Amino acid sequence: MNKNSIVLLRTLLKSTSQWNIYKNCKDKKKKGRIIGGFIGFSILYLCLIAYCIGMSIGYGKMGLVGIMPAVCALTISLLAFIFTVFKTNGYLFNFKEYDMLMSLPFTPGTVAGCKFMYMYVKSLPWNVSISVAMLIGYAIYTAPAIWVYPVWLILTLFLPVIPMIVAAFIGFLIAKVSAGFKKKNILQTILTFIFVLAIFALRFGIEAFAKDEEKINDALLSASETIKNTENIYLPAKWFDGAVSSFSVSDILLLTGISIILFVVIFIPVGHSYRSINSKLKSHAASKKFKMTAQKSRSIENAIAYKELKRMTGSPAYMVNGGLGMIFAVLIGVAALIFDIESIIAKVLQDAPVSKEMLYPAFPLIIYFMIGMVATTAITPSLEGKNYWIVKSLPIPEKTLYRGKMLFNMYITVPFAMFGTICLCISAKVPVLTSLLEVILMVALCAFSTAWGCVCGIKHMRLDWENEIEVIKQSSAVAIYMFPNMFATMILVVLVVILGMHMNLNLILAVLILIVTLLAWLCYRKVMKLSK
Amino acid sequence: MEKKPILEIKNYSKTYGEGKKAADNVTLTVESGDIYGFIGHNGAGKSTTIRAVVGVLDFTEGEILIDGHSVKTDSMECKKITAYIPDNPDLYENLTGIQYLNFIADVFRISEREREASIKKYADLFEITDSLGDLISSYSHGMKQKLAIISALIHNPKLMVMDEPFVGLDPKAAFTLKQIMHEMCENGTAIFFSTHVLDVAEKLCNKVAIIKNGKIIDTGTMEELTGKKSLEEVFLEVQDEQK
Repeated sequence: MNKNSIVLLRTLLKSTSQWNIYKNCKDKKKKGRIIGGFIGFSILYLCLIAYCIGMSIGYGKMGLVGIMPAVCALTISLLAFIFTVFKTNGYLFNFKEYDMLMSLPFTPGTVAGCKFMYMYVKSLPWNVSISVAMLIGYAIYTAPAIWVYPVWLILTLFLPVIPMIVAAFIGFLIAKVSAGFKKKNILQTILTFIFVLAIFALRFGIEAFAKDEEKINDALLSASETIKNTENIYLPAKWFDGAVSSFSVSDILLLTGISIILFVVIFIPVGHSYRSINSKLKSHAASKKFKMTAQKSRSIENAIAYKELKRMTGSPAYMVNGGLGMIFAVLIGVAALIFDIESIIAKVLQDAPVSKEMLYPAFPLIIYFMIGMVATTAITPSLEGKNYWIVKSLPIPEKTLYRGKMLFNMYITVPFAMFGTICLCISAKVPVLTSLLEVILMVALCAFSTAWGCVCGIKHMRLDWENEIEVIKQSSAVAIYMFPNMFATMILVVLVVILGMHMNLNLILAVLILIVTLLAWLCYRKVMKLSK
Repeated sequence: MEKKPILEIKNYSKTYGEGKKAADNVTLTVESGDIYGFIGHNGAGKSTTIRAVVGVLDFTEGEILIDGHSVKTDSMECKKITAYIPDNPDLYENLTGIQYLNFIADVFRISEREREASIKKYADLFEITDSLGDLISSYSHGMKQKLAIISALIHNPKLMVMDEPFVGLDPKAAFTLKQIMHEMCENGTAIFFSTHVLDVAEKLCNKVAIIKNGKIIDTGTMEELTGKKSLEEVFLEVQDEQK
C-alpha cells in the first residue's frame, strides 16, 4: 500500500466512525444516541461471542474438537463472502463521493482497493469476535501449545480476504455487465439475485457431496466428515486447519501468500475498468422524449408508497437486501408445489425426525423467517438522508408519511408471504380452516414486521450517512429490528412445533394471531406517538 | 508572462446510451492566466465536459490534455495539477472541516507549515475559521461550498475547474472568490468554470465558450464575442440562431 492509499483508507474509516462524530458533535442527543448504539453493538458482540463459545464447547463435549479450526475458518469465510456480496454494490460502485475522489490524484485501482480494504476493516470486529470465541472453546478442550494463539489470531485476519475478494470480483463482473444496459439497476439486482441463489444451491450441493461420499450413519462422525470434506473443497479452511493444528509452515504461507497475491492481481483489472463502469453507472442522459399524457392521482399514503417503490428500484443494494427474502419465499412456495414437501423437510432439517404435520403451525413463521428479517420501514426513515427536507416541508403530518412508508412495506411483503404460505399449505395438504388461520397469521406477522420496523427506523433514524449501505446493512435500526425478531421467530418455530404435538393446531394459531396482532397494534400506536 | 496552453480539449465527444451525444466534438483551449467561462443552458453538456476534464467521466472520442498530459493515459499527472470544485460538493459529512482539509493536504503532500498557512489564509478570507472544528454535516450549503473552494486552493493548482462555483455563496464570499481568481490568473493559473450568471462571466472572464446540445456554438475572447453588445444579448442571439 502506498502513502496515498493509507491516507484514503484512514479518511474513509474516519468519515464513517461514530467515535469521530461523538468527539466533534455538539448535539447532546446525538451523542446519547451514539453511546446507545455503541452499547447495543457491544451487547450484540457479546451475544455472538457467547454463542460461539457455547457452540465450541458443544463441539468439545461431542468429541469434535478436531474440526473446530475448520468450523471457525468456514464460518468466517462464509459470512465474509455473503456480506460482501450484499455490500459490494454500494461500497465499490455508485458511491456518492465518487466524483470528489476520482478528481483527486488517486488511481482508480487505489480507490477501488481502498474501498475494498474499508469493507474488510469494517468486518474485522465480527470476524475477530467469532475467531476469539472459538479459540477460547478450542483452548479449553485441547490446551494447545502457546504458538497456536498468535498463529490462530493472525491467520484470522487473512481468512476473510479470499472470500471477500471473490465476492467483490463477482460484484465487479455483475456491475460491468449491467453497466452496458439501459435498465442497469434492475439488471444488476437480477444478476445479484441469481448469484446469491446459485451460492445457496452450491452450498447444498457441497453439503450433499460431502455427506454422500462416506456413508456414515453415525451423526457425529458424519458431521465431522462433512466438515473435513468441505475443507477439502474450500482449501483456505484446510490451510488454516493445517496451520493451527500442526503448525504447517506451507499452509501458513499458502493462506497468507494467496490472499495477498489475489488482492493485488484482482485489483489490476478492476482498476482498469473502474472509471468506465462507474461512468456508465452514474451517468444518465436526458432523453428529452417525454410526451405529456394523462396523469394519475393517488392518495397521499399511496403517493408516499409509490415514492418508496421508486427509491427501492433506484438502488440495487436496497433491492437486493430488501427483496431477497421475498424471492426465497416464492422459491420455497414453488419448490413445495413441485417437489414432495416431506423430502424438502428432510433435506433442510438434515433427516431430523420431523414430519410435515408437526410443522403445520410453523409454516407462516418459516415464511416470515425469509420475509420478515428485513423491513423497509426500518430503513426508509434514514434513507431519506439529505432529501429529508422534501418530506419534512410537505404539508402532510408525519403520521401520514409513516403510514405511507408502512403501506409500502405491506404492499411488497403481504403478496409474497401469502403466496409462500398458501403454497406450503397446499403442498402439505393442510386442512382448510388451519390454512386460513395460517394465512391470517402471515398477514398479522407482516403487519407486525412493518410496524416494529417503523418504530426502530424512527427511533434510530440516521440521516448523515456517507453510503446507503451503512443504513441498509449496518445501522442500529436494522440490527435492533432484525436480531430480536430473528431469535424470537426461531424460538417460536420450536415452541409451536412442540405445542402442536400436544394441543389443537387451530387453537395455537388463533392464540398466535391474537398475540401478533396485539404486538402489531402496539407498535403501530408507538409509530403514531413517535411521529407526533 | 508568456501564455501557454494548460487545458486543451480536442474533438471531445461523450455518448450516452441510445446514441445520445451529451458532448459533440467539443474543442477549446484554456491558456495560463485565462479565466475561461463555459456557458450554456441546463443540460447543454457543461458538466459532462467538466467531469471528463477532471478525470471523473470516462470518454472514448477525442483527447483532453492538461499541461500536455493526457487525461486518458496520464490521469495522475493531470490530477496532481488540477483542482475541481463540483456544483454540489459531496464532502465527507462526518469529518470536521479541518479533518477534510488535512485529508486533501495529505493527498497533495503539502507540508505542515504550508498547509497551516494556506488553510488559515483562505479560511480567514471566507470567514469559516471558527467553524473548521465542526462536523461538515453541521455546515450550510454555502459553508460546504467555501470548504470545497479552500480545499481546491490549498495545493496551488495550475488548472482550476469549477462547476457553478458561485451558487450558494454569500455576496462577500462571491466577491472574495472573484478576487482570488484574479490573483491566481496573475500568477499563471488557468481557470475554467461553468456558470449561468452571465453578468459574472462578462465581468470576470477574458474568454468564453457557449455550448448548446453538446456542441460549442461560439467561442473566443470576450471582446471578439460581444463587441458592443452584452454577453447576455450575444448568448440569447446565438441560442436563437441555433434553433
